[in-house]
Amino acid sequence: MNLVLLYFLLLKAMLLSFSGLSSLPVIEADFVEKHHLITERQLNTAVAAGRSGPGPLGLYVVSVGYMAAGIPGAAAGYLAMVSPAFFILPILRFFANRATNPQVRGAIRALLLSAAGLLISSALPIGRATLTDGVMVAVAVGSFVVLAFTRVETLVVVAGSAVVGFTAALLRG
Amino acid sequence: MDKVKAPPLTLASLTNVFLKAGNTTFGGGDPTMMALKRELGERRGWFSDEQFALVFSLARITPGTNVLAFCAGAAYLMYGWVASVAAVIAASAPSAVLTVWLTVVFESADRNPIAKMTVSGVLAAVVGMMGAAAWQLTKPSFQGKGWLRIVALTGGTLLLREAWGWTPLEIMALAAVIGAVWREM
Repeated sequence: MNLVLLYFLLLKAMLLSFSGLSSLPVIEADFVEKHHLITERQLNTAVAAGRSGPGPLGLYVVSVGYMAAGIPGAAAGYLAMVSPAFFILPILRFFANRATNPQVRGAIRALLLSAAGLLISSALPIGRATLTDGVMVAVAVGSFVVLAFTRVETLVVVAGSAVVGFTAALLRG
Repeated sequence: MDKVKAPPLTLASLTNVFLKAGNTTFGGGDPTMMALKRELGERRGWFSDEQFALVFSLARITPGTNVLAFCAGAAYLMYGWVASVAAVIAASAPSAVLTVWLTVVFESADRNPIAKMTVSGVLAAVVGMMGAAAWQLTKPSFQGKGWLRIVALTGGTLLLREAWGWTPLEIMALAAVIGAVWREM
């Protein structure tokens, strides 16, 4: 597998998407249906691997690259994933220079409140899938209280929650 | 949450925050951005709510993975382009290595139930983390008639997203227009 071609195929998919898994249809069309670089089952495994670890959902393209061409393919997938991130810099420079404009300030303040709604919306499916018993509800409530009202480091809360989940699994056998 | 004296902002300390937040939060990009908001803004005072809103919004309209665009933009505002590159790599490279390892594991074995439950614990914390972030974002508006803005913009966003299936991009574009003309904000 030509690594440059692999990079550009994955980059194309990333450039045509605006969130983690929205590049999936393009990758499926190119990698599974058109070029037969990976199978449908391998693509599903890549998505599962990308969703199971920490970090963005878009990490599955690293797994797709690995499936197609081993470790060098994973490196090509990683580069394809991170490259578009830097497109934000010229956009940011444009808007940052206009940040004192009253209309731009008003828009930014409105976006803050809208972002809060989007966050709650993003938390809902995670909550529905995860908060299935009292232990998990307690972890969620406890995390909210600690993170909203104290200065405890986020990593400590994440690690503590993992320990609670691990202990609950052991106790249930 | 009480503010304390902000620690010095250096390339190493900034990169370290992205390294920790990017590689320890599960559930996609939004929890990572919220962890970064808390660590960079509320805990260290390096990143204002206004800067967060600007970068969070622009990351949504940047092609590719939103959270990496957020890392690039946030670090750029705080420390320039070198920090931008360092932040993106720090926030994603270890997770990418882990993803390759998980790919190998998933191809050879079914998922371990104890590992699955451990991840569930972390995801439950993510729910709390996102609730806390929403609280921090709306808290300054809980004054006077600010609750009207919360109902209109936070509640409206939730309604448009959950009930009518608008995309985040469409909602944020509408919110920006409303904000630009609603001068009392």
